[in-house]
Amino acid sequence: MTKILFSDKLDNCVTRWQAAGFTVIGPVTKETLSSYAAVEHASDFDLGIVLPDRSLKELFFPQTEPMLRYTIKQQAINTEDFTPPSGKRLIIGGRPCDAAGLSIDDPLFGWDYKDKYWFQRRNESVIVTIACTKADDFCLCTSLKLAPDSTNGSDILLRPLENNSGWEVEELTDRGREAFLAIAELLLEASEPTAPMAVVPEMFDLDTCVAWLQNPENFESKFWKDISMRCIGCGSCTYLCPTCHCFDIQDEGDTYSGIRRKNWDSCSFALFTMHTSGHNPRSTQSARWRQRIMHKFNYFPGKFNVNSCSGCGRCSRQCPVDMGITETLQKISTLHS
Amino acid sequence: MKIVGRHDEAPGVKTLRLEFQNPDDHEEFKNTFRTGMFGLYGVYGEGESTFCVASPETRKEYIECTFRQSGRVTSALANADIGDLITFRGPYGNRFPTENFQGKNLLFVSGGIALPPTRSVIWSCLDQREKFGTVTIVYGARTVADLVYKHELEEWQNRDDVDLVLTVDPGGESPDWTHKIGFVPTVLEDAAPSPENCIAVICGPPIMIKFTLISLKKLGFDETNVYTTLENRMKCGVGKCGRCNVGSVYVCKEGPVFTAAEVSCMPAADL
Repeated sequence: MTKILFSDKLDNCVTRWQAAGFTVIGPVTKETLSSYAAVEHASDFDLGIVLPDRSLKELFFPQTEPMLRYTIKQQAINTEDFTPPSGKRLIIGGRPCDAAGLSIDDPLFGWDYKDKYWFQRRNESVIVTIACTKADDFCLCTSLKLAPDSTNGSDILLRPLENNSGWEVEELTDRGREAFLAIAELLLEASEPTAPMAVVPEMFDLDTCVAWLQNPENFESKFWKDISMRCIGCGSCTYLCPTCHCFDIQDEGDTYSGIRRKNWDSCSFALFTMHTSGHNPRSTQSARWRQRIMHKFNYFPGKFNVNSCSGCGRCSRQCPVDMGITETLQKISTLHS
Repeated sequence: MKIVGRHDEAPGVKTLRLEFQNPDDHEEFKNTFRTGMFGLYGVYGEGESTFCVASPETRKEYIECTFRQSGRVTSALANADIGDLITFRGPYGNRFPTENFQGKNLLFVSGGIALPPTRSVIWSCLDQREKFGTVTIVYGARTVADLVYKHELEEWQNRDDVDLVLTVDPGGESPDWTHKIGFVPTVLEDAAPSPENCIAVICGPPIMIKFTLISLKKLGFDETNVYTTLENRMKCGVGKCGRCNVGSVYVCKEGPVFTAAEVSCMPAADL
């Protein structure tokens, strides 16, 4: 016997959670774009999609975020730190790859200086993930040693029932258990068969790829030029990626008052690393694509012991020139180290 | 921080001397700053720029920074006047291990606008001169006008305990120029300092570093006795924003000071 949440109770759950002070967030499709957004009712959810176009990242690390406000008057500078709007959030219907993306970035935002924006939102959010029963040709979680029902980063994992009438509830953390107390009486103890997980074929052998990337001789391989020839440096892959975390800091305002903001940035852009002198350590698009792959599968795991990729496939799915991590690693896995 | 001094070093190059406004911040700086560290200097409404702290660890009453006016932030800094307030975040990064330099001969090699980080180490050592062996400074710029810290070069020139070799690139000399003419690595090889018991500190544009490392190798310097400081574009300074890394090394956290042995492990194409 396990706890079951039947879909006809979902709207009740949303109301209960809202009454308990949570902002309820889930996958929502507006016109042609799907993302994670706040909902009023369960009917607002779009739970039928493989995964939203935009990742969960932006709920924790927004595309643009004010850090401080400054005012300058009579030779005195006053600054006031922004704190992110606080409030409990319950995010339901996130995919395991998106939840894993959050836990991948935790050590980055926590080493040395602890990023208060990231961690305040992390501490105030309950992640209720729904395991995947369908995947598309771009999904690659299994190639990253994750799975359609991975629990990394989730507080609760919901497994869809075979008859599509609801979900089996797996409580993973105290934070999840506490949030589900608010809906305890809407859950039923039952024994229902769960639906088979999506079949996500392994696209490449990750260990083979990592070994090739770690070999210094391959840093200047012609492969990088060939694979990135058609990259137009638009940055879509980095913006949609659930783990890409690079940012810029810019002031918006004038000499007397304004706001300092943290904005998403991308290693795909030439300006990202360009020195004032004009010298650019990553002066070509192939050097920038190499940086992205190296960072995700060599440098980041070297520092934090985890790949900076959770296998959502958005980089390939949304790329305007049909590139992506999958193609690159597939090709690398066929090269000899 | 308040600008208390302002000096034109070369065309477009300025030095600002800054004093802390908040005693607690100053105390923290005094406790943490060591030569080689950097900071982010900012003007609200314009942004922040990364430069080394050009003043030495032996003089912590103020911070000096030297920069070339070329972008939005550096233009705002260059236009700031004595008494104006600017921001400073730092000091960040690692440092030159000057305590390990004690009892050794010191060779400083620097080019153009890269003298400021070297100057911080030079004064840190000259301020406790008795602790070190011979001090040789090789410094070059494109033209005579481009040499920075001209008054200090003169001071070093006049000291018996400092050997200063100045050079300008061919074509950059003025009619009254009495020093060397040639590129820094060549002039360094001609000066042929002995690698015996010697620590080398080099800083310059990427191309100068590249060839100076080759020259030092020819002269017999061991890579572990050669230090350099890398500077990359930075935004956060605390290992998050993702742009300063060379290979797996984050310059802002693991650098900016590296030995030549460490640099040789980095992918050269990314420098």
